[in-house]
Amino acid sequence: MLDKTTPNIEFPTQLALAQGAESVHRRTLLRLALVGGAFSLAPMALAQSGTPRRGGTLTIGADADPIGLDPVTVTAFSSYDFTALLYTGLLRWNAEMKIEPDLATGFLTPDDTTYIFRLRQGVKFHNGQPFNAEDVKHTFDRILDPANPAPNANLFSGIKAVTVVDPHTVKFELKAPSATFLSYLATNPMGSIVPRGATDLKTKPVGTGPFVFESYEPNQQFTLKRNPDYYEDKQPYLDTVVFKFFKDQASLASALRSKAIDMTWFKDPKVSAQIVKTTRDLVSAPGKTSRTFPVWMNVKAKPFNDARVRRALSLASDRKACLQTVLGGSGKVGAMVPESQVGGYDGVGPMPYYKHDIAAAKKLLAEAGFPNGIDLGDYIVVAANALDVQCAQILQQQWAAAGIKVNLKPMETAPLLSMWLKGEFGLLSVALAWSADPDVIVSRLSSAHPHGKAMGMDDAALDKLIVDARSILDNGKRAAAYQQIQKHIAEQAYVLQIYQYPLRWEAWRGNVKGYVPLAANIRSFVRTTWLDK
Amino acid sequence: MTRVLLVRLAWMVPILFGVSLVAFTLMRALPGDFAQAAAGTADVSPEALDAIRRELGLDRPIWEQYLHWLGQIAVGDFGTSFVTDKPVLGELLPRLAVTFELTLLAGTMAMLLGASSGLASARFRGRTDWVVRGFNGLLLAIPNFVVATLIVLLAGLYFPEVGIFNYVPFLEDPIGNLGSMLLPALSLALAVSVTISENTRAAVLEVASQDFVMVARAKGLHSGAVLRDYLVRNALTPVITVTGLQLAQLLGGSILIETIFTIPGMGQYLFDSITSRDYPVIQAIVLVAAVIVLLVNVLVDVAYARADARVSYG
Repeated sequence: MLDKTTPNIEFPTQLALAQGAESVHRRTLLRLALVGGAFSLAPMALAQSGTPRRGGTLTIGADADPIGLDPVTVTAFSSYDFTALLYTGLLRWNAEMKIEPDLATGFLTPDDTTYIFRLRQGVKFHNGQPFNAEDVKHTFDRILDPANPAPNANLFSGIKAVTVVDPHTVKFELKAPSATFLSYLATNPMGSIVPRGATDLKTKPVGTGPFVFESYEPNQQFTLKRNPDYYEDKQPYLDTVVFKFFKDQASLASALRSKAIDMTWFKDPKVSAQIVKTTRDLVSAPGKTSRTFPVWMNVKAKPFNDARVRRALSLASDRKACLQTVLGGSGKVGAMVPESQVGGYDGVGPMPYYKHDIAAAKKLLAEAGFPNGIDLGDYIVVAANALDVQCAQILQQQWAAAGIKVNLKPMETAPLLSMWLKGEFGLLSVALAWSADPDVIVSRLSSAHPHGKAMGMDDAALDKLIVDARSILDNGKRAAAYQQIQKHIAEQAYVLQIYQYPLRWEAWRGNVKGYVPLAANIRSFVRTTWLDK
Repeated sequence: MTRVLLVRLAWMVPILFGVSLVAFTLMRALPGDFAQAAAGTADVSPEALDAIRRELGLDRPIWEQYLHWLGQIAVGDFGTSFVTDKPVLGELLPRLAVTFELTLLAGTMAMLLGASSGLASARFRGRTDWVVRGFNGLLLAIPNFVVATLIVLLAGLYFPEVGIFNYVPFLEDPIGNLGSMLLPALSLALAVSVTISENTRAAVLEVASQDFVMVARAKGLHSGAVLRDYLVRNALTPVITVTGLQLAQLLGGSILIETIFTIPGMGQYLFDSITSRDYPVIQAIVLVAAVIVLLVNVLVDVAYARADARVSYG
């Protein structure tokens, strides 16, 4: 986990905290770092060939405009690419999806519910204001403001108090041990630190990130300039980063081919593979899987309240065939928790009712009182996502072979979301983008969660498993806990996970160096990107 | 004539009032709202979503929201975009100019292409007619967004040096701007030109079969003069009607074309605001589009009177 041999130690005073470091006792490790031990994970970005060159403009093709740039109030995923370059937090995810310090230099955990962070000194916000512990407290005061809680307040609801110890030390006290706390802190924009006194960050962002906001023309372009005061040596290398907006995937592909943009990502891995194959000098990196394609079922409604019907659906689904046909094999069989989380657990073990078995599906249906097959009504999918629609069509055929009839109904995203969250559906597919912690995903199936409630979840054993997994601090044990949860969900077939794959299939021009796609689906590594002539 | 014009303009007020009511209520009748659309699948608590709705005034009764909006419009304020937090009017006007330019270019192209091919088709018949009508049939069968996507893909593949996506504002670089508008305008014009072409052909053929044309020919008029003074002039009325009607199609088509070619016009703006449920923007665009279509209809009526002496108003 910790690589002490790398010659490329960029942050000598920094502690690299590896979530998966089970062999070294956590507290010992942290103390070591604070007395001056030099650890660093070798960021993949820096391991790439050549010496970084300063200067130049990187043009990125983006498929959606940001909606607000204040990390505390933002809810739109499309904003994250921008907040990730404008703001930084106490911790961050590295290329291997391990947590490492960012604005913090390290931290102590005197007990399981207390975290004392030492902060970097000499850091300035984009407006020149120096960064210190008061800003950290201010940020969490804003998030947890009882009068006006932030959309992400529920992620940090386990915080009891945030105290400024001195200008460069801040103490977090938690109500209970939490395995999710550090993940949320490391995730942008949830854990981003905002300056005191700044108003209207929504349109005039001020952060500590490697790039400074320059201008934004909706639907056209978003321009960022290099932050000359950025705290990591020599970074960022680029002078300017320009995002250009293309709402159409074919236009994005053409723009990349015609050099109108240097970098983009595609929704369809087959499209990305095709473009990289037919265009010279393009690089494509799959990255870790971050997106799963689930079929949600309304377990409170007939006939989905009968586990036998749900299991029959699971048995009638040929997950591997979907993976092959829709993604051309670029992905894995589905799991509740994609492999980019909890130490790379990919969830692809032997799962109950995962084996494609039409006879068994028919038998279960007959036992449930449907010997002549069953009509499950509408199966709703996101019309805007061609991959989802393709997969749903294949599932429809597969299910038909087992005597299960569905009416495929592609739908606009906004009404679909509202039906999904209100539990007004029978069968529905909407994929989740990357989540900061597996808890966010599985909690949706807890009867205490508004969404679980809407779907009619009522499984005390599962609820307990979910709550317990939150406070397991040992990563190996935690992965095992999520495997158990995953097995439990598959056993009851509450959700059918079909496949998992990288949400973003990124591609960039050959002269773009030092970039690493991150499973968290943000472009953090633009900070280490440079242009080779 | 002036009085009639004034009456027609005055009629626009109640029509626009109706349009505003429909635009306002229809958008809100659609399931899903801005707070939900923006959050996507992120696990945002219902309370947090409600807080966003409260901030935007979406929690108030619909009639109250409507009256509030009408009051704003009365003083020329189209509200603030939910997405960008900026006044709608300031973002809409530059886009309107872009779409206006695109529709104007496409309209002109469609007129030239459609009228000349229709005329040639009717005049020469035979092989010319077959070729023109064959092309028309093909273009009618292929939706213009397919043509546009093909242009984008093929140009990206074979002529990457042609900067399809290098849109430049007209005031910055007029020549470059026209260059960047050429392909989008052409892909928008093609479908409309078919309708104009077919109508021109039919109108010219119909007029050509009339007695007065035969008389003109019989008295030895030069065929060019017959074409100009007898055929074209008489065939113009139905063509003008069709062209006016096509304007709505051009505006609608611009939504797709602007999205495909990433031109910062009103169409793309509308597309985005509908997906994100940005009500103030959608309402403003619908109103502006309604004003344009109504004004064009008035202009078409004026053009009738110009083209056809038999038409007179009041």
